[in-house]
Amino acid sequence: MTALGIIIALAPLTGSAAALAGARARFSALALAAGAAAALGGTITLLVMLSGGRPLEGWDGFLYADSLSGFFLMTVSGVTLLAALGSVSYIGAQEDNGELSSFQVKLYFTFFGAFAALMLASLESGNLGLLFVLIEASTLVSAALVGLEGRARSLEAAWKYVIISSLGVTIALAGTLFLFYSASTLHTGSNLALTWPYLLKHAAALTPQSLRLAFLLATVGYGTKVGLAPMHTWLPDAHSEAPSPASAMLSAALLNTGMYAIIRFLAIAHARLGGTYPRAVLLSFGFASIVIGALLMVRKGNFKRLFAYSSVEHMGIIAVALGFGGALGLYGALLQVLTHALAKAVLFLTSGDVSLRYKTREAGDVSGLLAAVPVTGGALLLGSFAVLGSPPFGVFLSELTIVRAGFARGSPVFPLLLLALLGVAFFGFARTITGMVTGGPPRPAPAAAPVPGSPYRDRATAAVTVVPLVLGLTVLLVLGLWIPAGLDTVLAHSATVIG
Amino acid sequence: MQYLSASSTAGVLLDLAGAAILLLAFACLASKLFNRYVVYYGAQSWVLSFAAGTSAAAFHSTELWILAGLTLAIKGTAIPVAARRVLMARLALRRDAAMSAGLSTSLVAGGALTAFAYLVTRPVLLPHGTAAAAVVPLSTAVILLGALTMVLRRHTVAQLIGWLIVENGVFLGAITLVATFPFIVEAAIFLDIVAGVLIMIVFVSGLTRQLAQASAGELKELRG
Repeated sequence: MTALGIIIALAPLTGSAAALAGARARFSALALAAGAAAALGGTITLLVMLSGGRPLEGWDGFLYADSLSGFFLMTVSGVTLLAALGSVSYIGAQEDNGELSSFQVKLYFTFFGAFAALMLASLESGNLGLLFVLIEASTLVSAALVGLEGRARSLEAAWKYVIISSLGVTIALAGTLFLFYSASTLHTGSNLALTWPYLLKHAAALTPQSLRLAFLLATVGYGTKVGLAPMHTWLPDAHSEAPSPASAMLSAALLNTGMYAIIRFLAIAHARLGGTYPRAVLLSFGFASIVIGALLMVRKGNFKRLFAYSSVEHMGIIAVALGFGGALGLYGALLQVLTHALAKAVLFLTSGDVSLRYKTREAGDVSGLLAAVPVTGGALLLGSFAVLGSPPFGVFLSELTIVRAGFARGSPVFPLLLLALLGVAFFGFARTITGMVTGGPPRPAPAAAPVPGSPYRDRATAAVTVVPLVLGLTVLLVLGLWIPAGLDTVLAHSATVIG
Repeated sequence: MQYLSASSTAGVLLDLAGAAILLLAFACLASKLFNRYVVYYGAQSWVLSFAAGTSAAAFHSTELWILAGLTLAIKGTAIPVAARRVLMARLALRRDAAMSAGLSTSLVAGGALTAFAYLVTRPVLLPHGTAAAAVVPLSTAVILLGALTMVLRRHTVAQLIGWLIVENGVFLGAITLVATFPFIVEAAIFLDIVAGVLIMIVFVSGLTRQLAQASAGELKELRG
């Protein structure tokens, strides 16, 4: 079982290996996709094996995976698979038309593989110190993806990203120190003492004052990576400047990895401090994020930034759901993690296709997408409805669960506020997207008219563009209609881990 | 877990080292010249290495001795030298003009943050009479001062130094608060810092080549 854990974390490195060996973009992307598929398969095997109840443990707790880790591993490896498939055509086309040099392509796949591997590894570590190390390393590696295009704008975004996230994660390290300190009455001589299952088991012996500080610092610190307001400022820049498949990874995988770290701290804090304090912290950051995300979405502009604001909003929803708590709230939060990840990956991948065809990232310059490129336009429309929580897609179900959890807690104020904010977000997002999808081609034919012909070299490449979109939307649709029994068990069991 | 008492020799030395580290963070905040930033950061790392050595001697810990050595070699020597050679010399950086607040305002704000650090950490968290009770407020203050440097200075190099000061503050807290932090983790944190500095240097040089001056204040194309 230990071997399985290692294979899952190392599998995406196939993409890095192929790129380092000098393969072209298409082949590296396919190698990456194969690795991601192996990781996904391994994760599902792991989840089946974990259903016996015993978690995967090894090396003094440095390696630890229970169903909660398994669930996040599944989300991240699934997103990696979609983004790798998206890279086949996106990076392939950019390599063909000379927008990316062969060195940049090599850089992209090397760091992409390492980025995915580091995130998967961080989800498999029970040691909170190592969790910090791996998450910080994933920041550094992904900064290279953000700055890949080397223009002043992308370098600026990468700088903002790396400096703000590093500071944030360092604050989380201070939180980890205080958590460790709060356990000073326990025997803390061994490596085991900084593993979260050990701390959770001995939660009664933790000092409440320093635990409180530890939870707050960890939420602020890892919240920076999650993109919770007001620490979200790096997020729109990084998401809009990164190549689209990398944006999908940032939004759908990286943010969730940060959320996973917060959830681990939440479990310990909840066990010792009870619900009130963690709930107050999470509800404040969550609602701040939803408000800011929703308001920023109303402005029309760069469509990749629009998706990024929507990520801020959704991370806020997840934080609020964790704050609502209870079996229902936690179930909804986790389901939202999965459904948002799928929907957002699809949206960022369509944005890649759109920006290749229209040579712009401004929503105002794009129109008539449905007529010009029916598949991409359709995926954009469906993906947008999915992310906004329309039935019959999965996000509807998870948001419904979260609102129900809010009402179940008693006061109707918070769930009603949540519903109102979701309405604002719907309005802002849909306004921009309908403008892009409907109508004819942009009339005055500015510089940003759709480039004549296909940006892809051949039909096969163009066809591959469709694969991740259809795959993601299908899973989203299925999740909206029916939660498979296995997934239901995993979600319910993970919710009991949190408390 | 064992605690150092504040009145033991090691406790007194740690306390002194903590105070020196705080003063050097203030010195950085009060300076306008790029090479001063690097000098103060280097000196701070040397004192930090001394503090780690003191802690190592008190706890008879080989791992802490190694960390003291690593601090001296990497933070005290390699990073300052790299910063001078790769950034200061090549980019011809001298005076830092990109500040959001004057020096005196910065210092007043720094003083307020230091007081705040004492207010938050001292009374509730720590048992009295231990070295940790004396040093942790200092390290919290260093973290806040580093963050303040990052906020008030708009030049990318100054922000990088600010982050490194924050890192030093966390490390000072680590060696006094939890001397037994797992070694592999500590070593890996070092690795992260080195990688972080390297990648940041790449971005700073890239940005400087693109813009005449890599001041984050002039990075205005993207707005949150």
